[in-house]
Amino acid sequence: MSEISNTTGPPPLHELEVMPPKRRLDGLRRFLKQQRLGSFGAIIIIIIVFGAIAAPILHTSDPREFGENILVSPSGENWFGTNRDGRDVWSRVLYGGRVSLKIGLATVILTILGGTLIALVAGYLGGIFDFILSRMGDILIAFPSILFALTLRASIGEDMPGLGSFLPADELLLVVAICVVFTPVIFRIMRGNVLEQRNTTYVEAARVIGAPESRIMLRHILPNLLGLMIIVTSTTLPAAILTESGLSFLGVGVDIGTPSWGADLSGNARIYFSRAPWIAIFPGLALSVTVLAFNLLGDALRDALDPRLRGQK
Amino acid sequence: MQAYLLRRLIAIPFMLIGITLLLFFLLFLRPGNAALTNFGLVNPDQACDKGERGTYQSTGSGCEGGLARLEKEYGLDRPFFVQYGDWAIHAIQGDFGLSLKNRRSISAQIGERLPTTIEIGIITIILSTLIGVPVGIISAIRPGSWIDGTLRITTIIGISVPNFWVGTLAIMLPALWWGWTPLARSYVNFVDSPLTNLSIVIWPALVLAIGSAAYVARIVRSSMLETLYADFTRTARAKGLTERIVVLRHVFRSSMITVLTVIGVQLGAILGGSVIAEQIFAVPGLGLLIFEAIMGIDYTLVLGGMTMFALMFMIVTLAVDLLYTLVDPRIRY
Repeated sequence: MSEISNTTGPPPLHELEVMPPKRRLDGLRRFLKQQRLGSFGAIIIIIIVFGAIAAPILHTSDPREFGENILVSPSGENWFGTNRDGRDVWSRVLYGGRVSLKIGLATVILTILGGTLIALVAGYLGGIFDFILSRMGDILIAFPSILFALTLRASIGEDMPGLGSFLPADELLLVVAICVVFTPVIFRIMRGNVLEQRNTTYVEAARVIGAPESRIMLRHILPNLLGLMIIVTSTTLPAAILTESGLSFLGVGVDIGTPSWGADLSGNARIYFSRAPWIAIFPGLALSVTVLAFNLLGDALRDALDPRLRGQK
Repeated sequence: MQAYLLRRLIAIPFMLIGITLLLFFLLFLRPGNAALTNFGLVNPDQACDKGERGTYQSTGSGCEGGLARLEKEYGLDRPFFVQYGDWAIHAIQGDFGLSLKNRRSISAQIGERLPTTIEIGIITIILSTLIGVPVGIISAIRPGSWIDGTLRITTIIGISVPNFWVGTLAIMLPALWWGWTPLARSYVNFVDSPLTNLSIVIWPALVLAIGSAAYVARIVRSSMLETLYADFTRTARAKGLTERIVVLRHVFRSSMITVLTVIGVQLGAILGGSVIAEQIFAVPGLGLLIFEAIMGIDYTLVLGGMTMFALMFMIVTLAVDLLYTLVDPRIRY
């Protein structure tokens, strides 16, 4: 009797206890093996993040310091050459990564959390909340994102306080502007999913046993949105970095002089591009590679986490 | 269908009210600013020195009186909703008022610039569909093959490269290699000289089309992969249709709906991207007009231009939704 139950029933408890950690490692190994491009992207991201964090060590000269040798072509001393102010392009690219990653991360955290929470309220409670929030989203989505971020910047620009040296006023302003543009998009995606979850049996079960609405939203539905949140994060982060650099390129991003991939491609620097192409090539290349790496990783995550969402954005 | 169309059409004015109220709120948050701008200044301390053409020039302490007079002329001293109502009534009749900076009719300025932006948008859409759809199909027919792998990497690079960098390179590299650049020509209307106009407009459109085509290709690929193994496709194969007909007539048609959605979404992105593309190539379109207006704090112009953009976006979205019914007979509104 005991032998039969061993072969057909669930495995004994001591085996089960071993399972979870083993399976988790297997998952990572499988990801690395099946998602070659994604792993490649992850490695590039690690390198870029390392470069940004270690910028004070890796840089060869102060990125804001004016140098005497202007428009020097790439050499042993100035790896990426110098720009029209004699600033070292390599050092500026390193520090530019800090700005892009910082603003990108801050934006993504705020939009994903904000968009998801608003979507939870709208999707789960429905009714008038849903109607008002959805229409507000519709209105915000109807504007071209860059122009709307520009308008916001012009409107609230002078009133914006800074958050110390970590996020000065100009960067905080960028974060706020990009957040306002992105949140309705996140909201739309998440709301659809909340609506789906709302009609599932487990939500019904929770309601039947008398769980309060707030608990159902936060403890039952929210954990089920995590997979989608990760996927949306992976597409939003590169988009946020692109928008930040786009605004900086238009000359309304970070303050003048701050090293930024977008800003270094804009304004008066453009006059010197044909004479000193390295000023244009390296910041743009750094930006493109960063966005590409995040997109590669995002694609792989999407494949791994939810095959149904493949290719969607 | 008619009820649905009616509902959508009724929604548009309400959306527009919301959109313009939001813009109005943002732009006229701090009254007085707009009046100051008319002096070409933002700093009130300097407002006394440079009166515009002497009309409102005031000396010494009379300066504030001049400003108040200006505010009065533009109606900026009135309550928020009175200003809004006045603006809205004129806007409905196609009159967006006068630009604060140069006192020209905003409707006329938009009318001059809008065709260029629409032209760029249309060319971009055509290019990205012509490139993106075939690439997506080729990629999807043999998933996992070397050609699919190459195209996938190419398209993911395409969506990653920022359009302003591509535009920058498009100006810089030819200048570097051949001493020629697609920039720096005086703009010509399409009506005046179609060929010269196209040779100018094609550049911003090409730059925007790279990202757009890559995006379209990716979506076409994934939506075709979904339908390549659907039940109805198997039926089509089972009854002996050639693979070519299965793909073109069954698979592609059913993924058309996704393609249509993407093109609709892309048009929004292209309208936004036109700001950057027009700026790089110095093409005088609506995007550049609004950008310059924002930079110059010409608030009435920003208000009119942004309303126009939003209206265009809503019309395109509605058109795409209606086209669904043509492409996919299963959809009934």
